[in-house]
Amino acid sequence: MVEGELGRLSHKFAVQRRRFHPGELDYLILVPTLRCNLACSYCQVSRAAEGASGYDWSDGTRDAVIDLVRQTRSGHLKIEFQGGEPTLRCDLIEAVIGAVPPHVEASFVICTNLQHVPPEAAALFDRDDVSISTSLDGPRLHHARQRGQDDAASEAFEQNIDRLLAQYGSRKVSALPTLDPRSPPDPDELIDAYARRGMTAIYLRPINYQGFARRQHADCRTTDTRWLEYHETFIRRLIYRNWKDRNICLEENYFSLLLRRIFRPGEDRHVDLRNPNPFGTDFIVIDHDGLAYPTDEARMLARAGIIDLSIGNIRQGWNTPARDALNAVSTCDGDPDCEACTYKPFCGRDIVDDISRYGTIDIPRRETEFCRRHLHLFDLAFELIHSPDPAIQYSLCRWLGLGGDRLPAGGLS
Amino acid sequence: MIALALRAASDAPAPFVTRLSLQAESEPALSHFLACTQAGSLWSGTQGLFEVASAAEDLIGDVVLVDPFEGRADRLIRSASRHNTLLVTEQCDQLCAMCSQPPKKTHVDRFDLLEQASLLADQGITIGISGGEPTLHRARLFSMLESVLEARPDLNFHVLSNGQHFTAEDALRLRSPCYRNVVWGIPIYAADAASHDAIVGKAGAFERLMASFAHLLRAGARIELRTVLSSSTAERLDTLASFIVRDLAHIEQWSVMGLENIGFARNRWNELHLDLRRDFHAVGKALDRANLHGIRPRLFNIPLCHVPAAYRSYAVASISDWKQRFSDKCAPCAARPECSGFFEWHPPELVDEVFPL
Repeated sequence: MVEGELGRLSHKFAVQRRRFHPGELDYLILVPTLRCNLACSYCQVSRAAEGASGYDWSDGTRDAVIDLVRQTRSGHLKIEFQGGEPTLRCDLIEAVIGAVPPHVEASFVICTNLQHVPPEAAALFDRDDVSISTSLDGPRLHHARQRGQDDAASEAFEQNIDRLLAQYGSRKVSALPTLDPRSPPDPDELIDAYARRGMTAIYLRPINYQGFARRQHADCRTTDTRWLEYHETFIRRLIYRNWKDRNICLEENYFSLLLRRIFRPGEDRHVDLRNPNPFGTDFIVIDHDGLAYPTDEARMLARAGIIDLSIGNIRQGWNTPARDALNAVSTCDGDPDCEACTYKPFCGRDIVDDISRYGTIDIPRRETEFCRRHLHLFDLAFELIHSPDPAIQYSLCRWLGLGGDRLPAGGLS
Repeated sequence: MIALALRAASDAPAPFVTRLSLQAESEPALSHFLACTQAGSLWSGTQGLFEVASAAEDLIGDVVLVDPFEGRADRLIRSASRHNTLLVTEQCDQLCAMCSQPPKKTHVDRFDLLEQASLLADQGITIGISGGEPTLHRARLFSMLESVLEARPDLNFHVLSNGQHFTAEDALRLRSPCYRNVVWGIPIYAADAASHDAIVGKAGAFERLMASFAHLLRAGARIELRTVLSSSTAERLDTLASFIVRDLAHIEQWSVMGLENIGFARNRWNELHLDLRRDFHAVGKALDRANLHGIRPRLFNIPLCHVPAAYRSYAVASISDWKQRFSDKCAPCAARPECSGFFEWHPPELVDEVFPL
């Protein structure tokens, strides 16, 4: 035990490290076009038809984005290209990549449906600093149904993802499933769709039925409970499978993030889970029309006509009253439920999620889906952390990147 | 082993620092190659002619300190190497049981020459500062770091220090932005004063170290903690890990280092040496605990084949090129480029106890 000055300072330091302190802008989500060559059931609003006009960056927007990238003050930069289908405008992606100053270490993620891979996209994929993120909703029938696809279209997608995986491996090519919480696929079938491709990381993403659509569904709360059960079952299946077959280690990214946040202060780069969570600081979303949004979900809400949460635009910036209004409340601090919650140091605040579900942030935290979901996951995490079951301990150690097969026991001495 | 001190001859009136180049250039701090000689190579600079006992091609780009009285040229900063360390003093106020470079009583002040050498370094390199205990001459040391970094903000320094001398006033000085380019490598051997003090051979050392850590935390100083693995530190390593993750969580890295069979450790090798192949448990647990809580642990000076496969990602090819050694059995090993190998002075009978990966 260190008494005195060092103990006092290190305690202060530890408390501060549990809070998010924004750095320079170093993470951009860019939407060069809203046009898409698919019409997925859960994405009717955030896309435009492939042949539509007026849904791509104007020349002015393009130049302003390029200026923003050129003026990067951070030493590193992550740029995610979303859509729409961004590979419809590879020329814009190339222009952005070309604008990164030489001293900046940049990485790029192209979020694509991999329905078609035009040659100019293939050339981009070939860059070492580019990785590919796509959607894989599970077994083929399930995937095709959600995407409203026929067999030939599904075949084309599978050929593309398998070819790219064979060429580049799963470090470069990742996927995530978008799941309907009312009818998710069987966990093992979903896991198999990934594992048999050598993809080990799965981020479960439930569709969020937003705003008015949600109010019309009286069964929302039941659906939410079912989702929590599904998520937990999924984690337990991963644990079982990892223990049975040590050659492959599967994980669910969001649960791994929660585990890391429990043990490691400063894991603050997941922009939907941190406290406080000031918008328009280290991270920004630039839409096809040049509007700046605090998060990608905020962009969807605007697109769906539910609420306009844009905080500025690429030409004038986002140091705006709208941003300040959001940031004044984007925190767990002072909330009676959060202040009384044992998980507060690991948790965060996502007011966009609250707005999308309830049209307000002014409801007791414990009645929000965000809170219920995180309470459940943190409860599960602590149950597993304290479990003596070697299979559970084995997976936890893998997910936390440890060498041993059991978490170092005992608290801090 | 690469020789860092070479025989040399010069008529200069005093020791001088110069950088060796192939062609004559207008920069007065440079000396250029003239001819091959029987002894090695002949060079010309503002200090006149001098001869160094080594072939010219090995020396191009090196920054050397030529001492005409000692007949010696020290290769202070070698151009092709990532491992350059300047020794600023041989005095120390601790007597660590495993010290690889036992201290001397006298101090020769070479700070001005070392400053000149640093200014001649290649772009962007990290220069090590070692001793003895560099902070015994704090004012000179800080001045040197500050003036070099003002002129050469591209450089970085890594200073080894026992952390016995930092003060509250230093904390104010070390807040200067130039110290973002300085990492302090500070040893800690146990989480309790009795064990730590016994190992460093100084009563009250632990308490003084904690005071220094408080000053350095105030200054926002960058710290690398260093713990040499020995039979006496290994069993307490996990307790030390717990202490570090709680009270020293601001450090950049925790380096857990294999023992060097040199200096004081040489005579006590059998007593101190720890064979990780036999028991990695305590070390593995401590490394995992640090990693679990977001401290970056690194395992130094241990060949990869002595580390269980699951823990190899912690191991670093840490041994400096000039004192690194491999066994003949290492020839077919696929992991050799990532491996530390052994120290040149590792007990020869142990160097062959390896297996290729």
